[in-house]
Amino acid sequence: MFIRAEYKKLDQLKYISHLELMSTFRSTFRRTNIALKYSQGFNPHIIFAMSQPLPVGMIGYEEYFDLELKQRLSLKEIKTQINTKLPNGLFVNDIIEISDNEKSLQAVVNTAKYQFRIRFNKKHIDKSKIINNFIKTKDLTITRYRRNKDNRKINIASMIHTGKIIEGNIWEFTVSTGSSGNVRPQEVIRALNHYTNNIIKKLSLTDIKRLGLYVKRKDKLYKPTNSKVLKKEVK
Amino acid sequence: MNVKELIYDELINVSKPERYIGNEYNIIKKNWKEIAIKVLTVFPDVYEIGMSHLGLKIIYHLLNEESNILCERAYSPWPDMERLLRKKDLPIFSLESGRGPKEFDILAFTLQYEMSYTNLLTILNLAGIEFYSKDRSETDPLVIGGGSIVSNVEPVAPFFDLIFIGEAENDLVNIINMYYNLKNSGLKKDKILLKLSSLPGVYIPTLYNIKYNENGTIESIKPDNEKIKSNIKRQVVSDLNEAYFPKKFLVPHMETVHDRATIEISRGCTKGCRFCSAGITYRPTRERKKEKILKLADQILKNTGYDELSLTSLSTVDHTEIDSLVKELINRYQEDKISISLSSLRVDKFSVKLANEVQKIRKTGLTFAPEAGTDRLRKVINKGISEDDLYEAVKAAFTEGWSTIKLYFMIGLPTEKKEDLNGIIEMVNNVLKLGKKIRKSSNKKMKPIWINVSISTFIPKANTPFQWETMIDRKELKKRLNYLRKNLNKKGINFSWNDEDLSLLESIFSRGDRRLSKVIVNAWNKGARFDGWGDHFDYNLWLKAFHEEEVRIDYYLRDRSLEELLPWQHIDMGLNNEFLKNELNKALSYETTDECRFNRCQGCNICYNLEFDLNVIGNDYNVHKS
Repeated sequence: MFIRAEYKKLDQLKYISHLELMSTFRSTFRRTNIALKYSQGFNPHIIFAMSQPLPVGMIGYEEYFDLELKQRLSLKEIKTQINTKLPNGLFVNDIIEISDNEKSLQAVVNTAKYQFRIRFNKKHIDKSKIINNFIKTKDLTITRYRRNKDNRKINIASMIHTGKIIEGNIWEFTVSTGSSGNVRPQEVIRALNHYTNNIIKKLSLTDIKRLGLYVKRKDKLYKPTNSKVLKKEVK
Repeated sequence: MNVKELIYDELINVSKPERYIGNEYNIIKKNWKEIAIKVLTVFPDVYEIGMSHLGLKIIYHLLNEESNILCERAYSPWPDMERLLRKKDLPIFSLESGRGPKEFDILAFTLQYEMSYTNLLTILNLAGIEFYSKDRSETDPLVIGGGSIVSNVEPVAPFFDLIFIGEAENDLVNIINMYYNLKNSGLKKDKILLKLSSLPGVYIPTLYNIKYNENGTIESIKPDNEKIKSNIKRQVVSDLNEAYFPKKFLVPHMETVHDRATIEISRGCTKGCRFCSAGITYRPTRERKKEKILKLADQILKNTGYDELSLTSLSTVDHTEIDSLVKELINRYQEDKISISLSSLRVDKFSVKLANEVQKIRKTGLTFAPEAGTDRLRKVINKGISEDDLYEAVKAAFTEGWSTIKLYFMIGLPTEKKEDLNGIIEMVNNVLKLGKKIRKSSNKKMKPIWINVSISTFIPKANTPFQWETMIDRKELKKRLNYLRKNLNKKGINFSWNDEDLSLLESIFSRGDRRLSKVIVNAWNKGARFDGWGDHFDYNLWLKAFHEEEVRIDYYLRDRSLEELLPWQHIDMGLNNEFLKNELNKALSYETTDECRFNRCQGCNICYNLEFDLNVIGNDYNVHKS
């Protein structure tokens, strides 16, 4: 039985890395009474995969993982078991069953929604004008810093899809994420700063939240657990 | 005040912020307002080291079992975190409630390693607590210590209000309760400490006066008055099966040094290696019964979700039920893909066979510790193995498919000569040759043979037969290391060694006295931190500190006469006075001493002095009665 779970990673655990999160999930699964499926080979591991990594320091509200079980269990039972064994700061929101040949999360998820707590260098700013112009701009070239590789110039305009002001300093952007185009949340801020002549203070990753990960189809966003984007529904 | 909350969002700017967040699965958060006695345990090194330490885990859970005690944890801040805390003028905080040390009644340090002494000062200083016990105020928490280095705690003794000597499981709760009640009754700290000093295992350093001779040696160690005990006797858990052992271990999020479930299958080791301090200070050997271990394993694995179970002990393979225990564990946990690991192996075929059972598929590497290069020198240190034993063990290992073998040796041992160094070179080369030969004729797909040679420096430790011996001179040590390095520099051999200067400093502290405390403070003031971490250790800074405090280094490196009063004389390990001297004499005439557990009693007298029920000690306890 394959399941796909939507979970949140909150403030208490926002500093644990992607790899640490994976091992935290693995030990959580082993604490439950759920019979787990292990891979074959020299170093057997739980068959388990996660959606795009959440940067260290960032809270995520709708993150995902896939897991294979050895025996069938009711979705409610699985959710309860996992939630009672998770450490504080992690919580499974929802679980669905998926077919055994469903595309992986990293392959289908292509969009992320981020929320920024922005601080300005100046008072009296026409915020809506800034954001509207920003979204329409066709050239948002920034420098991408890459670990162990040379920096690269890249135009991220086509990968920033929407932007809106929730209230005052709280701004939201949806951007491309994943292997076929990826924008890091800090890059949105750098582009915004560049475009507006540095009116925004430098942001820390703790000022950004990832609200959700989505599958984008014809300008519409679907959760990866939505039956419309799953290969086939499992009853 | 919740310090953690105050700087939580700034942790993004320090390295490894997950060290400071807590929230591990199984964390115990008690209600601060409802619990009377608050204890903060501190491990004076970083989180990932401290969280791997079994002793502190036992204490944490043991204290929290008490309904009137709340026990929380703190670890050393890395230098970048220390800077952040100083910038904000904040103390280090507990991972549970986020509070600083001053809000607790008791600050309990575990002392495991001499090189963490400066870290201890960092924590006190950040909390605004004076270093020296005598300078602290009535409102400061009680600063207590314990752990494996208490066999000679003198260099840091002036920093502590109270030190517990020995294994604390049976006595700690009582001490804490008594302290709290006395404090509540309105007594001043010095009166409280005086009262506590009568409890078994309790050492109040300020109650003991030390007088020095003109030549610097110790003239006398005497308590303030006759009512205070003159010796502090080490406390021990008599039956490990009855001893407290936690079942709900914390599960850290970040990878720790020993990131696995741990069960202590036995305590103590009576092999009698003459350089080993633990071999004396944890005597006698006490085993946990197989049935008890199996039950604990089941509970601990369920509660933690770990996929590895480590059986720890000073000498795991010497547990009398180890063979059937390992088989049973493998049987039980194969399906859940839980692997079993053994913390230490003997140099013999039996160990290889056991290792093969637990590492059937993935062979990570095997470690053997011949310790010295010739049969003669191994007799001196009472490491009862011959050169052929080693070859037989590694032959078995290569044949089973291992391709990487790690060999531990020590240099600077008493009576060491050039031929002993040559012996190391020869043994390593022979092991390499043996491996290559077996690999060539093997039908298994073996990786190229690698021998990892790890050289550590012999350090004379308190409460060992070598406590009177000279610490090897720095120049000579360098010369011997270079000789080995030059001769073992070839393909297939990896060579690693201890930093010479670090060994030197460790040796000063391991036989040091209270006059060193001011050197530690001086070095700390100059910026000494995390001295055990190679890249943080600055020997020149320490040299300056010694110089400024007018403390002579060579005084602490020299050999001691058998008549000299040693700084740890008042700390009673339970040893017969003559035992160590006899062992030293035997060492110098190449005589070995058999392990008492399976042979006749060798007269250390610990079983008698510490009033052991001989039934719990081991196999052949009848011989002890005679």
